[in-house]
Amino acid sequence: MNENFERDQLIERVRDTLRAAPAAQPDARAVGRVLATVWASPRPSLWRRVGDALHMTTFTRLGAAAVAGAALFLGFLSRGAVSHEQAPMAVSTPTTGEMPVAFSSNDGGAESALVQTQFVFEETTARSVSLVGDFNEWRAGETPLVRLANGLWTATVPLPAGRHVYAFMIDDTLLVADPRAPKAGDADYGREGSVVMVFTR
Amino acid sequence: MNMPRVLFKTLVALVLASVSAGPAFAQGPAVLPIADVEARQAVEREIARAEAKGLPVQPLIAKAMEGVAKQATGERIRVAVASQAKRLEQARTLLAPSPSVAELVSGADALAVGVPPAMLKQIRATWPRSQSVAMPLDVMTELVARKIPAKRALEELTSLMVAGATPAQIAGLGASVQSDVASGLAPDAALEVRARGVMSLLPSPAAQAALAPSGTKAPR
Repeated sequence: MNENFERDQLIERVRDTLRAAPAAQPDARAVGRVLATVWASPRPSLWRRVGDALHMTTFTRLGAAAVAGAALFLGFLSRGAVSHEQAPMAVSTPTTGEMPVAFSSNDGGAESALVQTQFVFEETTARSVSLVGDFNEWRAGETPLVRLANGLWTATVPLPAGRHVYAFMIDDTLLVADPRAPKAGDADYGREGSVVMVFTR
Repeated sequence: MNMPRVLFKTLVALVLASVSAGPAFAQGPAVLPIADVEARQAVEREIARAEAKGLPVQPLIAKAMEGVAKQATGERIRVAVASQAKRLEQARTLLAPSPSVAELVSGADALAVGVPPAMLKQIRATWPRSQSVAMPLDVMTELVARKIPAKRALEELTSLMVAGATPAQIAGLGASVQSDVASGLAPDAALEVRARGVMSLLPSPAAQAALAPSGTKAPR
């Protein structure tokens, strides 16, 4: 019974994680959260019990994990969270000009095509800088920039083709527009962001 | 305990959980990080109302989170979410019959910067049905955001669409104009020269006619 209880708790945790995930996102993060929840559970004892019960005859641990992963993937596929039309990521060559306009050799302009886009920010006194924008639901800390020795901060992220509004969050508190990019007006909150046009060639 | 059965049960539960994870607010709202409980609930009600109308939830959560990042008050976030829901609903009508979420968001963004609603409809009608209209809408939004009059932007975009420009060419136009304006070129001039550049790459008769100097006539 205790074994069942633990499994039910595991299922509940997975279910809660999935409920908290944003809907209709072509979102590998949601899958990641689910898997993280599974791996964060008391794995060794659970697997040992599963293995003992099965006498390790019909399923190996790896096999069971693969089946579970496949089942999860099918589940997400069936609700459209994972799109089979998603184009493979294309490494782009960002322009070296003033704006983070991104290009790739991936033609078609499908809205699911992702283009690696580099962001650069200069700030010498910050302890942390992260990128927030419509592509990550403006969640601070979700896309941290890495500090380079020369005082620049940078992050390269895969973005869908299109127009994106973004800003930088300094030390988790101060939001600033990218001084190197065109400004985006904000009728709703009255605070300018920056714009990047991402497209595939 | 029959372990294969347990394993099967677990897998079924996982699949069902992932399948049913869809509309976040239909099964209990995701907790928005808004400190004021009343304000947060008001925002969540706005999102739930929009979801009941069949609108996508994710752009509304993003709008609320944008307000959180910009340290807006709870009431301002609620108003912003309600406005975004209204724009999404309007875009859904204008881009009928079955716009994708990305198209709805692009339509809502266009409306937010002041693109007249009728122009969304016109762009949808001009762009091939088989292709997402998100990119032309994004470019239209960007051109208007750079202070190019909507009517002028639509004329150029329509010419390119009719002449068979690809989404990438349309997007390239938007990025080039953005770059030109940032480097000091007048928005109108930037649009004209860049649209001409794209047009010169298109082989269609419509493109060639558009490129012909004014006053000249095509040979009979």
